[in-house]
Amino acid sequence: MQPKHAIWIFSLLLAGNGAAAVADDLYLACHAGVSIAATDVRDVFLGEKQFLNAVRLVPVDNMAAQPAFLEKVLKMNGIKYATTWAKKSFRDGVNPPAVMANDAAVLEFIRRTPGGCGYLEMEPAEGVTVIAKY
Amino acid sequence: MRHFHALVGWAICVLGSYCLTQPTFAADSRDDRVTVLEEKLDRSLKLIEQLTVRMRELEVQLANKGTAAAPAQSAAAAESSPQTQERLENVEEQLAQLTDANAARGGGGPGVPLHGFADVGIGNHNANEPELKGANVGSLDIFLNPQLGEHTRSLFELTFEVNEHGQVESDLERAQLGYQFSDAATLWIGRFHTPFGYYNTAFHHGQQIATSLRRPRFLLFEDQGGVMPNHTVGAWLTGADHLSDGKLTYDFFVGNGQAISSGSIDARAGGVDRGSAIYGGNLGYLFGDTLDGLKVGVSAFRSNISDDQQTGRITRVDNAGVYFAYDTDRFEHIGEFYRFNDSDRTLGGPAHRSSAGFLQLGWRLPLAMPYLRYERAVLDQNDNYFALQAEGMSYFRTAVGVRFDLDAKSALKLELAHTRNTDRLIEQWNDAMLDYAIRF
Repeated sequence: MQPKHAIWIFSLLLAGNGAAAVADDLYLACHAGVSIAATDVRDVFLGEKQFLNAVRLVPVDNMAAQPAFLEKVLKMNGIKYATTWAKKSFRDGVNPPAVMANDAAVLEFIRRTPGGCGYLEMEPAEGVTVIAKY
Repeated sequence: MRHFHALVGWAICVLGSYCLTQPTFAADSRDDRVTVLEEKLDRSLKLIEQLTVRMRELEVQLANKGTAAAPAQSAAAAESSPQTQERLENVEEQLAQLTDANAARGGGGPGVPLHGFADVGIGNHNANEPELKGANVGSLDIFLNPQLGEHTRSLFELTFEVNEHGQVESDLERAQLGYQFSDAATLWIGRFHTPFGYYNTAFHHGQQIATSLRRPRFLLFEDQGGVMPNHTVGAWLTGADHLSDGKLTYDFFVGNGQAISSGSIDARAGGVDRGSAIYGGNLGYLFGDTLDGLKVGVSAFRSNISDDQQTGRITRVDNAGVYFAYDTDRFEHIGEFYRFNDSDRTLGGPAHRSSAGFLQLGWRLPLAMPYLRYERAVLDQNDNYFALQAEGMSYFRTAVGVRFDLDAKSALKLELAHTRNTDRLIEQWNDAMLDYAIRF
């Protein structure tokens, strides 16, 4: 193999290694008994829908799965998401979702918090309501 | 030469690879922090285990020192393990509850979320003080919105600005406490942005959020020369209701009637000494799938306004407006038009009609966001409401600008504009300005 070809192949491998990975499947889950419509997920995570009847919805972001969630569900990138929330927060006095580290933290939060909703890379076991799979 | 090409190719690939790896580096940084926290937690748990063992040993030693009750104490020492385990579980439960409470409150961290905005500028004219030029400090805007409970909401905005004399002034621009009944209804009480049109409630004092370098001149804040009552102190009911293909938004408000004092509008945050009031509303429709991003609406208000030039005089200001906003990933187009029909309630006489409006077109391009804006205000100078305001003259302005988002929280804006005052003091000037705005 000529050195020039080796350089190209090595560079492409390096570039491929640097690309951010996006999860295959995403599961949107809420606290047991909280059943929001799949069409409301976008509104819930952008602060437009804050209540389900008398229950206050508490969405949380999942740091590990956020890029996939923004791309697949909210159809926006991280900058647009942050800007949207900055405007919303400044206009309506509503804070953006708290950020959890991974599936385990999100699942634990959803189980404990009435109105809690979050997204997971792994299908959750019993104890929560799965709203949608993406 | 082939070596040269190979080197150039190598450099391009490495650069591309570097760019592609940036998000991963950012994610790695976050993962590192999480890892560090997990390690600290592990160390803490190990310490707790060590302390538990040590405590058990001490309890056993104390039990052995006893004489008659020695067997019973030994049994108690033996039972201390499940008790300790129970205590540990209680501590863990409390820790989890604290974590959940923080998350449920929003913001993801302990304490009250603190946000803010700031901007600085430079130009041949100050953006809001055309008689000044050079570099200027725009404003420092501190913004607090602590979440106090499931239904209670709050919002405070404290702004520090430099006036035309170079002195720092502070203003409590917004101070609102609200109760959110549901998604369809929130009642705010305090000082808020008067919900007329679109611009006044969509964009606030933080200039980083707004696309343009400055607000339309007639919509400037009261202390900057705007002629609209941008702030109201009173009560505001607002909400939205989802319909089949969109969302209906509404606002109703009532508050202290403003006063004109020293040439500018005063929201009278401390209360009024007579029965004058402002009240009005705003109805809008935000389209869903078919025209996603388009909002259209109408608004109206009536305010009974006093002034410091003639005791007891009340000028009734009737304002009606229409607006639209088209905000998508590619465009931000905004248009507003207002009609005034004002009358002197003390002396009577004919009503005075005036109008003001603007059209702003913006395009979201990959590297920048250029915008165009045309403003026009035709303000009757026989109307006390405008005649008593220092900047209440008619004008038109054309502006072209561009906004560069340097990152998610900072923007650089350039604007060229031509302004002409068409009555009272006829003059015209050209602006070339730069503004650097951030949020945090």
